Amino acid sequence: MDRLSAALGLPYTDAVVVAGALVLGITSGVLGAFAVLRRRSLVGDAVAHATLPGVCVAFLVAGVKDVPGLLLGAAVAGMVAALLMVGIERAGRIRPDAAIGVVLSGFFAFGVVLLTHLSNSSDADQAGLENYLFGQAAGLLERDVAVMAALAAVALVVVGVLRRALTTTLFDPAFAGAIGLPVRALETLMTALLVVAVVIGVRVVGAILMVAMLVVPTVTARQLADRFPSVLVLAGLIGAAVGVTGALTATRGQLPTGPVVVLTGFAVALAALLLAPGRGVLWQARRLASRRRIVRRDAVLAHPDAPTTSLSDRLIRAGLRRRGLLAADGTLTATGRAAAAETAERRALWSAWLEHGPSIRLPDAREPDPVDLAGSLGEDAVAQLRKVVSGNASYSARIRSRPLGGSQDE
Amino acid sequence: MSDGALIVVIAGLVATACGLLGPFLVLRRMALLSDAVSHAVLPGIVAVWLVAQTRAPLPVIIGAAAFAVLCVLGIDALRATGLVASDAAIALVFPALFSLGVLGVTRYAAGIHLDLDSTIYGEIAFVPFDTVWVGGYEVARSGLVLGGVVLLNVVLVGLMWKELKATTFDPQFGATVRLRPVLLSRLLLVASAVTAVAAFDAVGAILVVTLLIVPAATAYLLTDRLVVMVALAIGIGWVGAAVGYAVALPMDSSIAGAMGLVCTACFVLALLLSPRHGLLTRRWRRARAGAPLPG
Repeated sequence: MDRLSAALGLPYTDAVVVAGALVLGITSGVLGAFAVLRRRSLVGDAVAHATLPGVCVAFLVAGVKDVPGLLLGAAVAGMVAALLMVGIERAGRIRPDAAIGVVLSGFFAFGVVLLTHLSNSSDADQAGLENYLFGQAAGLLERDVAVMAALAAVALVVVGVLRRALTTTLFDPAFAGAIGLPVRALETLMTALLVVAVVIGVRVVGAILMVAMLVVPTVTARQLADRFPSVLVLAGLIGAAVGVTGALTATRGQLPTGPVVVLTGFAVALAALLLAPGRGVLWQARRLASRRRIVRRDAVLAHPDAPTTSLSDRLIRAGLRRRGLLAADGTLTATGRAAAAETAERRALWSAWLEHGPSIRLPDAREPDPVDLAGSLGEDAVAQLRKVVSGNASYSARIRSRPLGGSQDE
Repeated sequence: MSDGALIVVIAGLVATACGLLGPFLVLRRMALLSDAVSHAVLPGIVAVWLVAQTRAPLPVIIGAAAFAVLCVLGIDALRATGLVASDAAIALVFPALFSLGVLGVTRYAAGIHLDLDSTIYGEIAFVPFDTVWVGGYEVARSGLVLGGVVLLNVVLVGLMWKELKATTFDPQFGATVRLRPVLLSRLLLVASAVTAVAAFDAVGAILVVTLLIVPAATAYLLTDRLVVMVALAIGIGWVGAAVGYAVALPMDSSIAGAMGLVCTACFVLALLLSPRHGLLTRRWRRARAGAPLPG
């Protein structure tokens, strides 16, 4: 730790906070992935709220504010809350979100009652117990971080060893049960791992903000990767990066750690949602716009003599004229006719795919793209398609009599 | 009216307002939005303090409501991208807003009355001390506000009953007959946000979240009819308010916490003993049905 503080050029206490945020980021990133992909993100929220009564009871029992005891209380209460949620859900009638909400409010109400009781008992030492709600990163000691790191290491080793069984249970519980995996035990284990992550994080960012640390890394990683193992690793890395960046910013700016870490994470997740290559909102919008342009262009090429109605239509025509596809009088030039023929051919191929698609043999599952069928399905599939179409010429002729049926013979 | 009766009535008003909306939220699987909203209003309260240097109820409610609506619509927008599941969308938005609020408090508002406890817990015990004069009578201010909210919710749910019911149980059908399910859903969310904000001011966040979710979930265990569910949710909320107060008083405990615990106890009872869905009743029924058949 001394070396860390020297390496970062930070005072000792700040280095401890940064180390704590690092541990929290990695664990909550990896362990949160299971909750997020099961669509139980907010289980973390309920577990975090449930640590409040746990901490209070631990204080009542032990009578002192020693950290391992309070952590143990928090962990036990979190686990009880998590199991209750699973139990309520399994009872059948209540949906996950309501189960989470009931457990959350019940435990938190209990915590508030206990807190009032403690402050009425005028025990001077109880002050600050509610800091568990908001986190108290500045009070972290090296020993706390060591405890957190040990917990985190155990949890990550468990995930590493059981990753196949956990993945199967996560994505297809019915199949997991059929091949003899202990599904209920594995689901309970996933919940227990979540509790570990929450207990680690509550000290650093506080109960209320903990849920963000569980969700942000996975949401971000999911935008960047499609395979679960890569999502897990990426989520751990992103969690670590968010934790360290946030903690460093907070110490530089003399701000509370928890909120700064969470806001950093939110910014990262938002950026990923907007910009992620191929998946982000902006990419989707761009793809949609280009599709729209192609459809309009094809419409003009197919019927160049149709009356120009809208502004977008006029813009498309201007663009076509600039590229020499459309003559000044609105008729097609030679290149324009070639492009129109190509468009018609593409359409014909697409309607052939819609008609005969199921009979085409593909080497693997592929997503057909109406604009570029050869590119998306492969040359071989297109060749098969052409053969089927030419073999069924009489049948296709009947289809072709429909307005958009295509013009295979051009 | 004695202070005790007043506290119970105020909590009962909150229970009524929440009981009108809670069943729809629970049925639409949006129960946890109330928790999200309860945290997301903090920056609104801080912003009002920073701009106007006031904790007067009206500006605070407006500021909080603005952020509550922002939170709800933000979650809706994230979900609409199709890239995030709705639970993850909730978990992304409200901690961010809450963080903004905490930063605002620690940075600009430290040392004033705007401590986190009072915004998170509220304190229903102080309700009788906050009064205004209306037409020569001294009435509790929160009673006026909450009465207004109850009235609004009654009007909303009463006028839109058929539409809300149809879009709750079958959004596709609702869309087919042009009921605008998305618009209705947003309306419901905004109404919940406004209700929650008005109620935070009087009774604290935890009680509002509890009263929005727990009575509705309890009622859902007891009935299959929406009308009955709403009535039961309101009734359970009132039971929680009255019994909770009666329990908290002798124990000198947190009133809001005790009311929440009583509601949760109702839920546990219903979960175990509900005539149709109770865990124990089902077990008994199965045991009887499983008894050896004659012959």
